[in-house]
Amino acid sequence: MTNPLDTNKTYQSYVDKKSPNSPLLKNCFNAFWIGGLICSIGQIIFSYCTYRGLNETSSSTIVSILLIGLSAFLTGLNIFNKIGKIAGAGSLVPITGFANSIVAPAMEYKTEGYVMGVGAKMFTIAGPVIVYGISTSIIVGLLYLIFNTQAILV
Amino acid sequence: MQKLGKQTIKFDYPPTILNTATIVGPKEADGPLAKYFDKCLEDEMWGEKSWEKAESKIIKETVNILVAKSGLPTEKIEYCFAGDLINQCISSTFGLRELNVPLYGIFGACSTFVEAIQLASVFIENGINYALCTASSHFCSAERQFRFPLELGNQRPPTAQWTVTACGALILSKEGNGPFVTHITSRKNCRYGNKRCK
Repeated sequence: MTNPLDTNKTYQSYVDKKSPNSPLLKNCFNAFWIGGLICSIGQIIFSYCTYRGLNETSSSTIVSILLIGLSAFLTGLNIFNKIGKIAGAGSLVPITGFANSIVAPAMEYKTEGYVMGVGAKMFTIAGPVIVYGISTSIIVGLLYLIFNTQAILV
Repeated sequence: MQKLGKQTIKFDYPPTILNTATIVGPKEADGPLAKYFDKCLEDEMWGEKSWEKAESKIIKETVNILVAKSGLPTEKIEYCFAGDLINQCISSTFGLRELNVPLYGIFGACSTFVEAIQLASVFIENGINYALCTASSHFCSAERQFRFPLELGNQRPPTAQWTVTACGALILSKEGNGPFVTHITSRKNCRYGNKRCK
């Protein structure tokens, strides 16, 4: 047995061996059913809207608006973080997670004022997603323009 | 004062701990150590408008309890050694401002309190009579400083740590009945895997 303090690498593997792992199966199960539930709620809203005669584009917009609104509301009531603690990716990956990641800093940094607090720090968590999302779409758009000009002209 | 080896100092006139005081938050009050704390808070905000203000208030009140317990007038305190986790040690600065005493703001994270005692001991060994040492942290202000907003719905791994909401304070004195600080040993700043670390 080598001394775990010998090198950085052996120390790291020693720590990994000693520290408990996340309960993977339980986390996956909870993420699956809570995430599924959120998506089902979205589908119910969507189906109701189309049933009442709205077209598909408007219906999906309404689904986004309602889910974002609901998630922001639950964040404000200090309930969403409790759901997120159990659900993990289940509540993070749907649009609810995105709404939460903007409302949570907005609430947290309100004590620093409306301009330098809420305004400046609201996007500390969602910011990277937006920056790289937009950057990627620009690159994809450019590639499309270069390789598929025919399709755009037509 | 005499240096032993590479990291240790031995005191000729060991400073003594005159008295101590602690205020803790609700989560700490739930634990098995609750009966040893001077005051347990029910509300982490403690009637203040921000977590940082609450932390400052915790420090201020801890020092008030300490002064009352030790019976030492605040004018007798000559130096403060204090630290917390917030930028520019602002919680300690604001919390100890009314004492009107020179303050050394220190940052040692988990080691802040011992660091404060070590530095204060060196001062007392060299002729100072009374020095105040405090260390504090607040779960909510530390989360904001280092991690995520409290309302963010993220999952913590089982090894995630929880920053304490509390302040501990003590007065070190030149004369008293102990416990004494006879030696101080500080850690070398190095990393495992470095040969000189051993």
